[in-house]
Amino acid sequence: MLKYLIIQLDDTSTSFCHYNNDRMTGNLIPIEILKEAIFWSMKENLTIQFLYPDYELPEEYKSAIASTFHADIVSSTCEDLPLRDNADVVVFDTFDNISDFQFNDKQSYAIRTMLSRLLKNANMLHAILPKVNRMNVIITDIASIKGEWENKYAEFLEKLGNKVLEEYKKGHYLQINLLTDRLLLDNMNNCNAGNESITICPDGKFYACPAFYSDKDVSYSIGDLATGLNIKNPQLYKISHAPICRICDAFQCKRCVWLNRKNTLEVNTPSHEQCVVSHIERNASRKLLSKLREIGSFLPGKEIPQLDYVDPIEKLLS
Amino acid sequence: MDKIKKSDKGWKNGAAKSITFIVTKDCQLACKYCYLVGKNEEERMSWDIAKKAIDYILSRETEFPEESVIWDFIGGEPFLEIDLIDKICDYIKKEMYRLNHHWFNSYRFSFSTNGINYDTEKVQSFINKNRNHLSVGITIDGTKKKHDLNRIWKGSGPEKGSYADVVRNIPLWLSQFPHGATKVTISSADIPYIKESVLHLYSLGIHEVNINCVFEDVWHEGDDNLLEEQLISLADEIIEKRLYNDYACSFFMERLGKPLDCVKDNSNWCGAGKMLSIDAAGNFYPCTRFAQYSLRDKKAWIIGNVNDGIDYNKLRPFLTLDRCTQSTEECINCDVAEGCAWCQGENYDAADTPTIFQRATAICKMHKARVRANNYYWNKLFHQLESEGKQELYETLSYKKTEEPC
Repeated sequence: MLKYLIIQLDDTSTSFCHYNNDRMTGNLIPIEILKEAIFWSMKENLTIQFLYPDYELPEEYKSAIASTFHADIVSSTCEDLPLRDNADVVVFDTFDNISDFQFNDKQSYAIRTMLSRLLKNANMLHAILPKVNRMNVIITDIASIKGEWENKYAEFLEKLGNKVLEEYKKGHYLQINLLTDRLLLDNMNNCNAGNESITICPDGKFYACPAFYSDKDVSYSIGDLATGLNIKNPQLYKISHAPICRICDAFQCKRCVWLNRKNTLEVNTPSHEQCVVSHIERNASRKLLSKLREIGSFLPGKEIPQLDYVDPIEKLLS
Repeated sequence: MDKIKKSDKGWKNGAAKSITFIVTKDCQLACKYCYLVGKNEEERMSWDIAKKAIDYILSRETEFPEESVIWDFIGGEPFLEIDLIDKICDYIKKEMYRLNHHWFNSYRFSFSTNGINYDTEKVQSFINKNRNHLSVGITIDGTKKKHDLNRIWKGSGPEKGSYADVVRNIPLWLSQFPHGATKVTISSADIPYIKESVLHLYSLGIHEVNINCVFEDVWHEGDDNLLEEQLISLADEIIEKRLYNDYACSFFMERLGKPLDCVKDNSNWCGAGKMLSIDAAGNFYPCTRFAQYSLRDKKAWIIGNVNDGIDYNKLRPFLTLDRCTQSTEECINCDVAEGCAWCQGENYDAADTPTIFQRATAICKMHKARVRANNYYWNKLFHQLESEGKQELYETLSYKKTEEPC
């Protein structure tokens, strides 16, 4: 069941997820389409998330956006500073100057980074943790994480877990998607693009998510405002029709349907690397849970069992 | 003594690795029902590509752990490239020996041919050289009328059927492969000729006729009833003349037309993904049906190439496919689901999105007609055997039906 509508306001709007938005030329969504999309989402009872470009929007856009409940997602480089300072989510594409940013505990933050840069800047991330309540780290090159990088990632998460532990000891119960989401989940909590959320882009068309607009290799729309939503094979976006994911307990995994389509040619099938990365995170969460319990009672009854695989396809094929 | 001939389950019971060389996309014929929409004379495999493919496969025993292998050659018409095939097979044998490969002495070379070049010196020389490791199937569709309805020579001008050019090679083929089976394809136009065609093939000495309706959406109103009539008439003839002793027709199977369970009976029908196909460009496919020349509307599903190897991520969907995930609720709940076949390539080509997880159902009413005729066949046969005091014959064929249909 649909719950969210993402409105990408401009071709250059920030990416907040695994995909890269390489469009450099501004192309603002027509105001009529924006108003129509807002109207449609109100009728469908959807929560809107706006993806902003870096430049300041015209006043008529601001007033249209202000006419409905919504969440704002902006880049850390957004020139509209009042918007940036009050946005629900601020996205960083780089660690440059991140230490100078004025974080606050009301906003959520996302860092999009390649794994090598994340490892190189681990100390910067550690330094931010005391300042935030919610941090999403999004690795943009999951497909290339193999071999020694798997071990490096596990080591990074172990150290990050120790930093999180220090914060919890201080009574600062921050959330960081890579480690704490799995602690709190009992079921899959994936992105659910195409199932719970859809996107409308500046061309007036619906997409499963903004990645299917940005990435020309896999781009396809699922209808438009004029003719309506037309998701073909909608079952394939659901966990029930994802043979690997439905038997998996890496509940924090984004289960990115765009990455799936790109790497395995099917929206319902994750790559091996996606599964391994998610299991490294899951197993790091398991270790963190154990350490948290050494400092006090924490989530009684919650267990993350030990597994003998890092890719659930092994379980499926055994 | 009475017996019931069963269909051959294939060499090594279908458990061998199947590796297919698409040696050419050319064929002398232009069969009307052929699913190869992109046949052409240009895409012929080079020795360099073939050798790279063999080297890649044979140097990775752990990636290909199957006990046995079937080296399959397909076209177009494979025997158009008999020189290349001969070189490929010699190299495979030499390399398997040199590497002490676990497939040495557990391999087959397999061909499905239109039979036109079968008696040529080069083909015969190849057959004699590889006789002990060879299976060859010649496709003949039945009577001259039925065969020539679809299997015509390519080229402009008046249509010219190929029956005479094939049937002349059947005796030679059967002398070399006495258990040779033929594959008959049924599309809408040739339904009226099914019975006479199967009987004709039996009369030619072919004891096993593998026959199937095309999976594409070609069926017209009433085709199901016509199919049922043909098969019931064929059933009467087979039983009356006791042809079931020595001849098999795959339309009639014991395990057909029962409900299926989503837990116990959830296997995929098709072996796509467990096979490997290589084309002239050196691209790897999960099955020949995913090469571009086989696809009407979709992009080829390439899973790697001879230079970079197999991209196993692109195989993952095939390895995880099960019956119920790709089926509609109607198919899942169908009372006669058992034996209803599908082709993964046709599913992909006909799907609303580029997916292998949407089952094409164009064959639905034809399957149901087949089930009705099949029920009639076995009921009549069992009754006849029982009345003759030969119950033990059919009791060996009985099996438990699904106890908890989903």
